[in-house]
This record gives sequence, structure tokens and C-alpha cells, in this order.
Amino acid sequence: MISSIARRSHTTERIALNVIRFCAGFVIFAMAIILIYLTVEGTKTFFVDHFSPISFLFSPDYDVDGGHPGAAVFIAGTLLVTVFAIVVGGPFGIAVGVFLSEIAPKAMAQVLKPAIELLVGIPSVVYGWLGLTLLVPLIRDHTSSPSGFSLAGAGIVLAIMILPTVISLSEDAFTSLPPALREGSLALGATRFQTIMRVLLPSASSGLAVALILGIARAVGETLAIQLVIGNAASFPKGIFSPTATLTTVIVGEMPSATQGTIQEHALFSMAFLLLLIAMVLILLVRFALRKRT
Amino acid sequence: MAIVATTQPTSTSLIGSSPGVRARKLADQVATVVLWLMASSIILLLALFIVYMFYLGARYLTPSFIFGMPAETSAGGGVGPEIYNSFYILILTLIFTVPISTAAGVYLQEYARPGRFRELVVFSAESLATIPSIVMGLFGLLVFVYLFKWKFTALGGALTLTLLNLPALMRVTQEALKSVPDTYREASMGMGATRWQTVVNVVLPSAIGRMTTGIVLIAGRIFGETAALIFTAGLSVSTNAPYDLNPFHTAETLAVHLWYTHTESIVPDVDRIGNGSALVLLIMVLVFNVVARVGGRALSKRLTGRPT
Amino acid sequence: MQRNAALAALLIGFSLSTSAVLADTSITAAGSTALLPLVKDAAGAYQTANPSVKISVSGGGSGTGINQVAAKAIDIGDSDIQAPAQPELIDNRVAVIGFAVIVNPDLKIKNLTRKQIQDIFAGNVTNWNQVGGPDQKIVVINRTRGSGTRVVFEKTVIAPEKVTEGGLTEDATGTVISVVKSTPGAISYAAFSGTHGQPIVEVSIDGVAPTEANVITGKYPFWSYEHMFTYGPATGEVKKFIDFIASNNDLLTKNSFIRIADMKTSETNR
Repeated sequence: MISSIARRSHTTERIALNVIRFCAGFVIFAMAIILIYLTVEGTKTFFVDHFSPISFLFSPDYDVDGGHPGAAVFIAGTLLVTVFAIVVGGPFGIAVGVFLSEIAPKAMAQVLKPAIELLVGIPSVVYGWLGLTLLVPLIRDHTSSPSGFSLAGAGIVLAIMILPTVISLSEDAFTSLPPALREGSLALGATRFQTIMRVLLPSASSGLAVALILGIARAVGETLAIQLVIGNAASFPKGIFSPTATLTTVIVGEMPSATQGTIQEHALFSMAFLLLLIAMVLILLVRFALRKRT
Repeated sequence: MAIVATTQPTSTSLIGSSPGVRARKLADQVATVVLWLMASSIILLLALFIVYMFYLGARYLTPSFIFGMPAETSAGGGVGPEIYNSFYILILTLIFTVPISTAAGVYLQEYARPGRFRELVVFSAESLATIPSIVMGLFGLLVFVYLFKWKFTALGGALTLTLLNLPALMRVTQEALKSVPDTYREASMGMGATRWQTVVNVVLPSAIGRMTTGIVLIAGRIFGETAALIFTAGLSVSTNAPYDLNPFHTAETLAVHLWYTHTESIVPDVDRIGNGSALVLLIMVLVFNVVARVGGRALSKRLTGRPT
Repeated sequence: MQRNAALAALLIGFSLSTSAVLADTSITAAGSTALLPLVKDAAGAYQTANPSVKISVSGGGSGTGINQVAAKAIDIGDSDIQAPAQPELIDNRVAVIGFAVIVNPDLKIKNLTRKQIQDIFAGNVTNWNQVGGPDQKIVVINRTRGSGTRVVFEKTVIAPEKVTEGGLTEDATGTVISVVKSTPGAISYAAFSGTHGQPIVEVSIDGVAPTEANVITGKYPFWSYEHMFTYGPATGEVKKFIDFIASNNDLLTKNSFIRIADMKTSETNR
């Protein structure tokens, strides 16, 4: 009698194992087909329309009607907006991460952490709307930008959006450092600030690198929040208060009206493919940074 | 892990110390103040957003807005069907995502031995997580709208969102499982239970509080998802609107509607729709956050007697 | 066990509601935001007269409309322009619409020559004081590539020039109006159905005012036919709906459209 129960639970065990192994395998399958599909569709510009990848990446002339979809303007837009966001949001995020990990008393942390979680939860379209109603008029009235739609506006919105990511990952990087590091430094007479700057920051550098890389990933992939404030001008910005466009905004702006099979549609998918490649590179960078830690 | 122990210099006054020490102490105090300001500014920023959105939008939250039908060209439209679609797609997405991601998370955490398969699963999950949502939306367009010829459907949107959120929910599962002490597992298997029986009867119930918190928080994010839905679930509500149960109906959600109003729409009361929708979205995020914490705690107490 | 039963019940529920849905006739139309007010109004009137028909209308631009009807994702694609690249689409012309070049009212500009408009949109002129206005930077607001209005503009007003890419790009008629309204120095273009009665200035081109009367006689050049494309010839309720729009003079005039029959001039390539 006991052995039949055992046998039944062994069968259940085997079935269960296969089911969950299948589910895990599904994740691999999903990633694989996404990769395949986007590669096939994204390289049509090069193989079907015979447009060279170099021109695609570096030509600023986005002329779909003439068969010459150069994406350099949008690539530059994505880069500029990301750099702006990480320059503004990166150090700020790390600083607050340090604060949470080293300085904040429990009461403050109990207010700050839920606040950060709420900021993460706000949908990106609401951030875009906030930028549109708060930031754009501000920029229009107080800077050289006549319309208020600008690279700076998009950069500021993005900086706020990546803050939670950078903060929580920075905090993790610091809290995972062994306490002996801090105690040793303080025992030697260093102030807390000196401890942070000279001992903890360098030790946490790989974790901080991960925080920044994932912040960058978030910025590169953001679409709607940027689209509502950047002005969508398919030209290089003349300054930070000029409008411009990014890979993501041109995709969401033109895809609905791009007819299947045209050069325009292929070019847009190539841009999506490029975004995918950038994401993969960022992942590899994260893995590299984490490996350096051990 | 705040440094508040007695390893701090006992005197913070600047008198009676050498210039070098004084400078260092000053730097420390200044830095502390600066960091406090930075951290407080985040709380202030969030408070500013919330107050601003309530100020702009509260007056528009009338029943005719929350439950009314949308208007394409005239003022006075509501967002009833859009809110319905947001919930509909959310539930549909969770139905698909939770089983698969829980299973995959359990596999990774409880079963998998280090090896190529495990590495591949982890790598795939990380990659999926970094894909921009617009790119995922284009994939959904390719597969569900063009290839399967479904046109714009709630189901297509939900499946696309499933792919987007699998990694996040897997991570939630893994973290929750990690928080269960090994002694539970050892005790269970010591009594002769198989690993599966241990997982189902001992580990999962212990982890359920954390899992619920994580799932509800992610549900809040799904509710606000836009970029992946524009090309898969569409920009209009069902013709059998407003409360169509058919998963193949065109399903514009509240978040997508907010975007649509500010880019494509020609209604004259853009501000009203925009402010009202943004506020509803914010309120939903707040609600989801609160439910996540409170619900997770309550569920955990119920099932295990522990707060988390 | 209970979980499986629940899932099965859900699936059955879904498939049942699917078959229930197929009972009513449903029509989906999307595309041009210039045509949108008319189609929406007509849909309201038509559904009241025919309660068993459900019509859903949305925007997205002429390009989107053509795209989606060609992909058979919708029944009617609204467009300001023809679709020569899609021969399987049947062109049902329903009305004529005029478009206006619009500027921010603070500029106090009421008229521009065609050459001036060309120079402004090509980026050759950058300050309003070069065309008789105040000292203010010109802010060009363009329409997206998928906009039929943009194609009509390039073909009938500023040809052979094309619009410069340096301007802001906004999509729908409504967004354009609100940006022009609030941005000093702004200039753009949109259909009468969106511009008439709005707090912006509709500029005369070479002295000809942007009115329906001037479109009818052909004096005002900036106009186009409105097309409702169908995949293959329109049949059944779709055909009846399209005919309803083309013949309903009240709805047409109310939304600033012109009946094709009233036109004293015609063009083959609009």
C-alpha cells in the first residue's frame, strides 16, 4: 500500500518536473522566435531593398520616398537623450542609493522606499503627459525654444523615469558590501563621507555599473514619454532646446501608416532590430560587469 | 544598513581639532546635508506630481466620464470602455503569465542544476526583460495582427504583454521562493515528501505573501502599459462596446487612450480627457500599490502565520 | 482540478460570446483626421436610423486608413489622397474638403503669397519679419509622413518644394491646431473641418480667402477629394453607409465639406 502511494507521487513528480521544465523552455522559445522574427523583418532593408547598413547607420538623409532611409538622425536622437538622462539621473540616483544604504534612518527609509516604488509604478504615458503639461510650457516661456518641445525636456523626463532603477540597484550594490569594510575604515578614523567615497564606492563599482547600464537600457527603450515632449523633428538638434526625434518615437509615429512591404516599413523594422541589438549588448555588458565582481 | 553605530567620531563639533580633521568633518556634514536634500527632493517630486494631478483632474472625475462612452470628435466623451479594456487585458495577461512564470521560476529556483539549459533560460529571461516595449509591440503586430490575421484584439495585446512580463514575474517567484528558509524544505523532505509535494504544500504557501505583493505591483505596471498595445490591441473600442467579453475585440485601454488623445485625436476637450485619464491611472497605481502590500501581508498571515 | 474546470469554463464562455457577436453588423472605419468629423457625425445619424448596425470610427491619418483597409483589418479606410500603390482598393469619393494654412493669431498675418509659403516651409525664410510680420522666429509644424493633408499640401501649394524636416511634427488635425494656438510664431496646415471657427488665423493664399465658395470655383488651390477606400467594391451596409455620407448635404455643410456635385472644377489626380 505504501509503495503504491510512493509510486503515484513519483509519477506526479515526474509529470510536474516535465511541465515546469516545459515552461522554462517556453521562455527560451519565446526569446528565440522574437529574435528570429525581428532579424528577418529587420534585415529586409538590407537584403530586399539593397540599402547598405553603413548608409542606414550614418546617413542623416531620411528619405523613404527616394529609397534612402538613413537613420542617423534618430540614432543620434536616441544617444543624445540617453546621455542627457544618465548624466542628470545617474549621479543623482547613485547618491540617493548611497543615502538609503548608509545614512537614512529607518523612518526616512520607510517613507522614501514606497515613494520610489510609486514613481516606478507611474505609467510612462503619464510621465509624458506630465512633461507635456508641466515641462513644455516652462521650457517655452523661459528658454530660447519657441515651442517648448525639446531634447532637454525629453532628457529631464527620462532622467526622472530612470531614477528608481538606478536608486534601487545602487542601494543593493552598497548593502551587499561586507560590513567589515565600513567598520575597518571608520576604525581607522575616517569620516562617514570619506568611507563612502574612498572605500565603499570603489568596492561597489561593478554593482553601480550595473545600475547605470540598466538605467541606460530603460532610457533607450522608452517611447511615449519622449514622443510627447520632444517635438518629433527629423533633424539633428541645434542645441539642447531644439526638437529632435529618436528611434522609438519615429517607430511609433510612422508605423501605423507604413504600408506592409514598403521601404518605409522595412526601415522602421530595421530600427526596431537595432534597438534589439542595443538591448542585447547592454545585457552582455551587465554580465561582464557582474563577472568582474567575483 | 545605516551607519549609526558608535564607530562615529564622538564629537561633531569643529572646535579643538586640527585643520585637517576639521575639513574632513565639515565635508562629512556638508555631504550628509546634500544627500538628505536629494532624497527629500524625490519625496517632494512625487508629492508634487500627485497634488498636481489631483488638482488638474479631480473635477473631471464624474460618473459620465468614468463610465461614459468615448467621443471621437465632440466634447464630453468618457473613458468607460477604456477602463474596462485595461482591466480585461490585465486579467487576460495574468491568466497567461502567472502559471508560466511561476512554473519557470519554481524550476529555476527549486529544481534546476547548473548547466547549459539553466544558463539559457536565465539568459533568455534577462534578454526578454531588456527588450523595449515598443519592439515587443512590433513583434505582436507581426505575429498576431499580420501573421495570424487577427487584426486588433485584446487577446493579441494580452499575449504580447505576457511576453513582456514573463521575466519580471519569474523574478518575483524566484525572490519569493528564496525567502523561504531551507529548513522548511528539509523538514518536509525528511518526512518523506517528494520535491514537488514539498514545493506545492510547504514552499509555495510560505512564499505566497511575497508573490502576491510582486504580482499585484506588476499588475499595476501592466495596467499602465501603452507602447506594446498600440499596435496589437488597437486604438478604438469594440463595436459591441462597451463591455465586450469576446477576447477578439478591439481593445483600446485607458493608457493608450491618454496617448491617443494627445497625438491623434481631434476632440476639443483634450485637457479634460487628458487630466482625467492621467488621474484615474494614478489612482489605480496607488490602489495597486496599497493592495499589494496589505494583501500580501494578509494572505501570508492566513496561510502561514507569518507577516511575509 | 477545480482550476482546470474554471479554465475550461472561461474558454467555453469566450467561444460562446464570439458566436453571439457575429449576429449584428459591424462596420469599422479609420484614417484621415480631416474626414473624421464627418464620418463620426454620419455614423451617429446612421446608427440611430439603423439600430442593428454598429459603426466604430477612429483617426490615425490617411496612411493608416489605407494601410489597415488593405490589410483587411478594417472595412473602410478614410483618406485625403489616392492610393495608386494598392490597386485592389476601390476608391469611393464622398466629398470635397478645403485645407488652410494656419498661423498663430498674435502674428497678425492674414495673407501670404505662394512663394512666401514655399520659402517658409522649405526652410529658406526663418523669421516672420522677412514676410511682413513681426520679428519672431518661424516655427514650422509639419504633419507626419502618413498624413494625407501633408501630401495634398506639397502637391497643391508648395510644389515643387517639399517641407523641410527641421520642423516639429505633429499628427492629427486637432493636435496641430492646439500647438499653433499656443506657440508664438507657429505655422502649419490643416483641413477646414478642423480649422474653421478655431482661435487661429486661416491665411489667404495669393489674396484668395480659404472659404468653401473659393474652393468650388477653383480659385483657391488647396483642396482635395475625400476617399473612403474599401477592399474590393463596397457592398451591403458598408455601401449604404458610404452613399449616406456622400448624399447628406446637411452633414456635409455642417462639417465644412462640399458636395462633389456642387464643384465647378475638378481634378483627376486628387
